[in-house]
Amino acid sequence: MIKHLFKLIWNKKKQNFLLMSEMLVSFLVIFAVFTLMVYYYNNYKKTMGFDYENLWVVNYNNTYQTKSTDSLNTFYENLRQTIKSMPQVKEVSFCSDNVPLSQNQNQGNANYKNIAVSSDHYTVDDNYRNAMNLQLLEGRWFNKADANAKIKPVIISDELRDRLFGNGVALGKMIGIEDKKFDLRVVGVIQGVKARGDYSPAKTAIYWRIDTGSYRWLGKMMVKVTPDADAAFEGKLYKTLANYMKDSNIEIEHMVNKRKSTNLFNLVPMIVTLIVAFFLVINVALGLFGVLWYNINKRKGEIGLRRAIGASGQSVSSQLVSESMILATLSLIVGTFFAIQFPLLNVFDLKAGIYIVAMILSIIFIYLLVLVCSLYPGKQAAAIYPAVALHEE
Amino acid sequence: MIRLQNIEKVYRTDTVETLALNKVSLEIAKGEFLSIMGPSGCGKSTLLNIMGLLDEPSKGDVKIDNQKTDNLSDKQLAQFRNKKIGFIFQSYHLINDLQVLDNVELPLLYRSTTAKERRQLATEALAKVGLSNRVKHFPSQLSGGQKQRVAIARAIVGQPEIILADEPTGNLDSAMGNEIMDILLQLNKNDGTTIVMVTHDENMAHKTHRLVRLFDGSQVQ
Repeated sequence: MIKHLFKLIWNKKKQNFLLMSEMLVSFLVIFAVFTLMVYYYNNYKKTMGFDYENLWVVNYNNTYQTKSTDSLNTFYENLRQTIKSMPQVKEVSFCSDNVPLSQNQNQGNANYKNIAVSSDHYTVDDNYRNAMNLQLLEGRWFNKADANAKIKPVIISDELRDRLFGNGVALGKMIGIEDKKFDLRVVGVIQGVKARGDYSPAKTAIYWRIDTGSYRWLGKMMVKVTPDADAAFEGKLYKTLANYMKDSNIEIEHMVNKRKSTNLFNLVPMIVTLIVAFFLVINVALGLFGVLWYNINKRKGEIGLRRAIGASGQSVSSQLVSESMILATLSLIVGTFFAIQFPLLNVFDLKAGIYIVAMILSIIFIYLLVLVCSLYPGKQAAAIYPAVALHEE
Repeated sequence: MIRLQNIEKVYRTDTVETLALNKVSLEIAKGEFLSIMGPSGCGKSTLLNIMGLLDEPSKGDVKIDNQKTDNLSDKQLAQFRNKKIGFIFQSYHLINDLQVLDNVELPLLYRSTTAKERRQLATEALAKVGLSNRVKHFPSQLSGGQKQRVAIARAIVGQPEIILADEPTGNLDSAMGNEIMDILLQLNKNDGTTIVMVTHDENMAHKTHRLVRLFDGSQVQ
C-alpha cells in the first residue's frame, strides 16, 4: 500500500508541490523558532555564575582631584572601610563599568600561541570575588601580593580556558592581549558569568586586578548587603556616599532588578519570533486543513470507488492521513537538508547539539501539525457513503 | 446467489420523503445474466447499489451466497465486496493519476497478496479484455471503450462470483457498446460469473438471460 501511495503522490506531483512547499517553509520557520528556544533554554538552565541576590551596584564618577595616586587610593580605601563598617554591608568591591547585566562592554582578544579569542575584560579588586560570590574552579583569586608581581596575574573564565587550552592545564600559562606578546600569567579559573542575563551564554572573560592608578577611571562599586537591607538603609548608604564623594553623580541599582530588565530585553526577539511563528503555524494549519478538505471533496469519486472495491471507512481515512504524512516526510527530507547546513557550516557559532535538538523538535511538530490537520478530513472521508460518493462523480 | 426480499428504500429530507424502491423481491441464480431496465429515476441504480452492499435498504433482507448481510460491520462489508463482487460503472471511475495496470490492481491492494501476484493477476485480467498493450497508459490516453474495458479488468481481477454493471455501455457508441457487451457475455459464459446489468438499451437487455423492469420503484416484470 505504501508503494501505491508513493506512486499516487508522485503522479500528482504538480498538485502536491504547493502543499509540500508550504510544509517546507513551515518547517524552516519552526526550525528557526526552536533553535532560538533551545538556545535560550540551554543558557537559562545554566547557573548565572554569580549571586545577584542582595547585590547592589553603585554608579559614581571620580570627582576626587589629586595628582597623588597614594592619596587617591587612600581616599577610596577609606570609603570602602566606611561602607563596610555598616551592619547591613557584607562586602564592598570596586570594579570597571562593565559589570554584569549592564549595557557597558569592554572587549578585546585573549591570545595563546596562535589562538585568539574575543573576550570580555573586567578590571576588579581583591574583594570582587566575595562580593559577587564567584565560583573559583582552579588556582586562586587576586591578593595584595599580586601588586608587586613581576608578571601580571590574570584570572580567566572556564569558557576562555576551554577555548585557549582545550583539555590542557591553564594555571601558570602565559597569555597575552596583543599578537605574539604573552606577558600575563593565568593564576586562576572561575566559572563563567552570564553577564548578559539568564538567556545569554557565559562569555569568555579575563579578569585584571586593579592597579594603583585604576581608581581614576573606575566607576562602579559592588555592595553585597544582608537580606534585611531595606529602602531606609539604601537612603542612608546614598547619603553616606554623597557626603563622601562631593559633586559625584551617585546612583544605586539592585542587581535583581537589572537581571529582570535584561532578561525582558533579551526575550523581546524571541517573543516577536514566537508571535510571528504562531500566526504562521495557524495559517499553515488552516491551509493544510483547507487543502485536505478540498482534496476529499475533489476525490469523492475515488473514495467511493475504493469503498466499492474493498476499502473500509477506516482504511480510506488511514490512506488520506498516510498520504499527508508521506508529503510531510518528503518536505521534511528537503527541509532537513537545508537545516543540517547550519551545524555543518557553523552558522551563528552555535553548538551543533542546539541545531540537532531544534531539528528533531521541528520534525515532531510538523508531523503532529499534519496529523492533526488531516485527522478530521480523513474521518469525514471515512464517513462518506460509497453509493453517495460514486453518484456525485 | 443473490436474494432480495421485500426491499424498500426511502430517502428522507426534512420535508420530503421519497420512496425509491417499493417491496422489490428478486432472486438471481448463480451464473445468471440479468438485466434491469426502467425509466430514469425508477430505482435501478439504487437496487444495484443495495445488491452490491454499497447502500442499505430501509426495509427488507439482502442475502448473498446464502449469507445475510444486514448484520455485517463496515469492515466485513468491505471484505465481502472485495471478494465476492466486481463493479462496473457508466462513468468508469478510473483513477486518472494511476496507470492502467495500477488501476486494475486496486481491488487486490485490499487483500493480502504480494506485489508480484497483483501484477500477474492484473496483467491476465487486462489480457482478457484485450488491453495488454495499454498497461503503461494513463486513463486520459484511452478511448471511452478502452476505459470501460479497463474498468471490466478491474472488476474481474479479484475473480469475483458476481459482477454488477451500472449502464456499462451508456457512455459508448453502439460498436463500442457491443464490444463491451461481448466481453460481459464471454465472462458469464466461460467463467460462470453472475452478472446483473442496469441498462437503458433494449438490444443489450435482450442479450441477457432475464430482464427485470422497474417503474416508480416497483418491479413490473
